[in-house]
Amino acid sequence: MKFNTVVMGGGLTGLTCGIALAKAGQRVAVVATGQSSLLFASGSLDLLGYDAQGAPVANPVEAIKTLPESHPYNKVGDVEALAAEAQALLAEAGVKTTGQATANHNRLTPIGAVKPTWLSLDGYLTIDGDKLPYNKVALMNVIGYLDFPTKFIADGLRQMGADVEIKPITLPELNEARKSPTEMRATNIAKVLGNEDIVLRLAAEINAKAGDAEAILLPAVLGIKEDVLAQLLKKQVSKPMHYVATIPPSVPGARMQALLRKRFEALGGTFLNGDKVVAGELAGDTLKSVETEKLVGTKLEAENYVLATGSFMGRGLVSDYEKVYEPVFGLDVDYIAERPEWTHDNVFEAQPYMEFGVKTDAQLHVMKDGNVINNVYAAGQVLSGNNKVKLASGEGVDMLTALAVAKNILK
Amino acid sequence: MADEMQLNNISENNFEQCLKCSICTAYCPVSGVSPLYPGPKQSGPDGERYRLKDPKFFNEALKMCLNCKRCEVACPNGVNVGDIIQKARMKYYTGKPKLRDMMLANTDFVGSMATIVAPIANFALGLGVSKAVMDTVMAIDKHRTFPSYAATKFESWFKKHAAAEQDKYSKHVSFFHGCYVNYNYPQLGKDLVKVMNACGYGVHLLDKEKCCGTALIANGLYGQAKKQGETNMESMRQAIAKGRTVVTTSSTCTFTMRDEYHHLLDMETGDVREHLTLATRFLFQLIDEGKLKLAFRDDYKKRVAYHTACHMERMGWVVYSTQLLKMIPGLDLVMLDSQCCGISGTYGFKKENYETSQKIGEPLFKAIAEANVEAVSTDCETCKWQIEMSTGVPVLNPISIIADALDVEKTIELNKNRIIVLRN
Repeated sequence: MKFNTVVMGGGLTGLTCGIALAKAGQRVAVVATGQSSLLFASGSLDLLGYDAQGAPVANPVEAIKTLPESHPYNKVGDVEALAAEAQALLAEAGVKTTGQATANHNRLTPIGAVKPTWLSLDGYLTIDGDKLPYNKVALMNVIGYLDFPTKFIADGLRQMGADVEIKPITLPELNEARKSPTEMRATNIAKVLGNEDIVLRLAAEINAKAGDAEAILLPAVLGIKEDVLAQLLKKQVSKPMHYVATIPPSVPGARMQALLRKRFEALGGTFLNGDKVVAGELAGDTLKSVETEKLVGTKLEAENYVLATGSFMGRGLVSDYEKVYEPVFGLDVDYIAERPEWTHDNVFEAQPYMEFGVKTDAQLHVMKDGNVINNVYAAGQVLSGNNKVKLASGEGVDMLTALAVAKNILK
Repeated sequence: MADEMQLNNISENNFEQCLKCSICTAYCPVSGVSPLYPGPKQSGPDGERYRLKDPKFFNEALKMCLNCKRCEVACPNGVNVGDIIQKARMKYYTGKPKLRDMMLANTDFVGSMATIVAPIANFALGLGVSKAVMDTVMAIDKHRTFPSYAATKFESWFKKHAAAEQDKYSKHVSFFHGCYVNYNYPQLGKDLVKVMNACGYGVHLLDKEKCCGTALIANGLYGQAKKQGETNMESMRQAIAKGRTVVTTSSTCTFTMRDEYHHLLDMETGDVREHLTLATRFLFQLIDEGKLKLAFRDDYKKRVAYHTACHMERMGWVVYSTQLLKMIPGLDLVMLDSQCCGISGTYGFKKENYETSQKIGEPLFKAIAEANVEAVSTDCETCKWQIEMSTGVPVLNPISIIADALDVEKTIELNKNRIIVLRN
C-alpha cells in the first residue's frame, strides 16, 4: 500500500501532522494503536505554563526563548506563527478555542487548582489573573457523578474570592443511568445527554436550581462527538455558563479525537484504527517500508515516515530494568544509563525520566546507531528534552513539532 | 532474573496490563445505553480479579456484552477486554440455552429446513400472527424482519450452474460462503464467483462447510461450535494443501474462524489463519503486488457510504475493502463514523434486547439518513439486516459493488495481457 507519508500514532501529534500533510495534497496513512492520551485531555492546551525554574509564564513565546538548547521547541522555527497555525488547524476541524501564544490565561483543574495555559476549548471557564469574573457562582454536578470533586473545586473558587454554592442536578434518564453507579463516567453521561430534547430539559433543571448565582459552572459531560449539544445547553441556560474539566475519561478529549480524525479522513487521509507498526525495512539511512500487526502481507510504503507514538504511556518508549528503548525500530534514545537516577524520591519533583525520548537532529530526523535516518521524523512526546509536567508544555510540543515535521517533509 | 520476572508476569489476554483508565467504557456500545450492564472494565479485567479468587463472583449481566470487541480496539494497552468477558461466560455460566437461543444459533439447521420450504417460510415469517407468536412464545422481537430464505441454496446453484466451469481456470480459490450466502442471499455468492472468474480464478466449495459458529458461541453452545469448527478447519486444510486460499465475504465468519476459534475455543489454527481471508483483502493484495488489474464500467455511478462492522474494525481490515472500493472511478465513497449498528448477530433478535439494540444503532441510522447515499456498503451480513430494517437504505457487500461495477471483458483482457507481458 503506497502513501506519501505514513504517520505512526493517532493522537494529537499524529493527527495534527496527518492533517497538515493531507491538506497540502499528500496521500497519508495514520496508524493508531488504541485510543490516545487525548482521552485524558483537560480541555485546555498548554504551550508553556512554567519556565525551567518553575515560575509561571505570562508570555509563552518569550519564555520559550529561555529554554535549554535540548528542548524540542528549539527545532520548530517560528513558535508564534506555528502556534497560530495550530489554533487554526483545530478550528478547521471544528475544535474552537480561545487564547493566544503571547499571553497565557488560567484554567481550573478538576481538583480546583489554577494553572496557566495557552488555549481553552470554547465554553470552558477561563480566568484572567487570579480573580473570577463573578462574585457568586453555582457549581452544579450531576447526582451520582463521582469524577468531579466538587468540594475541592469549590475551595479553589473560594480562594479566588468567589461565593460558591454546590448544587446537585439530575433528570430521570440520569437517575436511570445510576443503576450502574460504576459506569457514571463523563463519557457515559455524555451518551445519556445525547439528544436535543434531554438537553433542553437539562437546561430547565439548571435554570430552576440557579438561585441568585451570577454564573453556572458544570462538569464537561456534554458532546462526545461534536459540540452542538454543549453549545445548545449554554444558549438555553439563562445565566452565563462555563464547563469545568473533569477527571478522565475526558469528554472534550474524546470529541477532539473524533473531530480531528473526521477532518483527516475528509481530507482523504487513511486512518488505520487499532493497528500498530511492528517492523520496518531499513536500507542504509532510508526506511523503505513498514509492517503493521493487522495488515499481514501488506507493506506500507512511503517517501517519509513520522514517529508520533508518544512517551511511556503511549508505548512510544518502553523501559525494563536496565534500559529505555524505542520498541519499533530500536532508535537512539536519550536517557540516563544509571537506573536509580531515572526517578526522584519525591514524586512532586521534576522526574528525570520525563525528559527521556528519541534523539533527533535539527530537522527532527531520528537516528539509529548514531546515523541520521533521512526520511523518518519524530514529533510529540516521543522526543527527548521535554518534561511536559514540569513545564506544562504537552500539547504545544505535540502540535508544534508535528507542524514543523510536516513543513520539513513538504520542503 | 529481572527479565524473567517481567516475562513471566504476562497473563492471558494481557489482563495484568489494565491501567483502569476506563477508555474501553467510553467506546462500549452497550454501556451508557443499558444501565444494567456493568461495562467492559467492570465485566472484564476488574471482575476477573475477583473471579480468579472465587467463581461465585461471576454475574449473569456479562451476557449483555455484544462481543463487538470495540473495547479491545480502544484499549491503549492491548488488553483483550472482550475475550476476558467471553471466557468468563464460557467458564462460569451454568445456565442452559433456551430453545429460542438454540433456534437462533443453529443457522445451519434452521436454514436448511427453511430453504426447502422457502416461500412458505418467508410468507409465514412475515405474517403478523407468526410474529406475534414468535414474540410471545419464543421471545423473538416482533419488530424484527427475518432475513428471507432463498428458494435455491447457493450450494445448489453453484453445483448446477458454476461448478463445471471452474476447472478451466489456471488459478484457484476455495470459497467459505457462510450461512447467509447459502440460505438467505445467494446473489452475493454469485457475485463473488463472477469477480473471481473475471480475475482468472476458479472458485471451489469446501469439501464440508459448517456454520462458522459465531451464533453458537454467542448463545453458549460451545461444544457444538468447536465441533463445527474442527470440520471447517479440516476442510480448509484440504483446500490449502491444494494451494488454494480460502476466501470469504463475511467479516464475522472470518474473524470467528481466524481469531475466536483459537482465543475462545482453544483450537489450533496457526497453519490455516494466514490462508483464510476476506475476498476484498485477497483482491487488494493481488493488485497491490502488481499481480492483478481491475477494469470498471464507464457508466457506473453510485454514491455509497461505508459502514465499519465491529469485527472488521477488530481485524483492522477496513482499509482493504475501502481501498478496493475507491478504485472504482464512478463510486463516490463516504466514510461513516465507525460505530456498532446494534444487531450483533442474534442479540438484536431477542425480545429482551430489541430496545437496546435499536438505541445503540440510533446514531448510525441518523448518520446514514444524513449522508444522502443510494446504498450503504459493509462487510457484515447482520449489519445489513439491521441497517436495511432501520433505515430502508439498501446495503451491499463490497464484493457485490465490485461485481456490479466491473467491466468483465476488459478485466479478463487486462490480466491476459499481463500474463503475456510477465512471460516475455
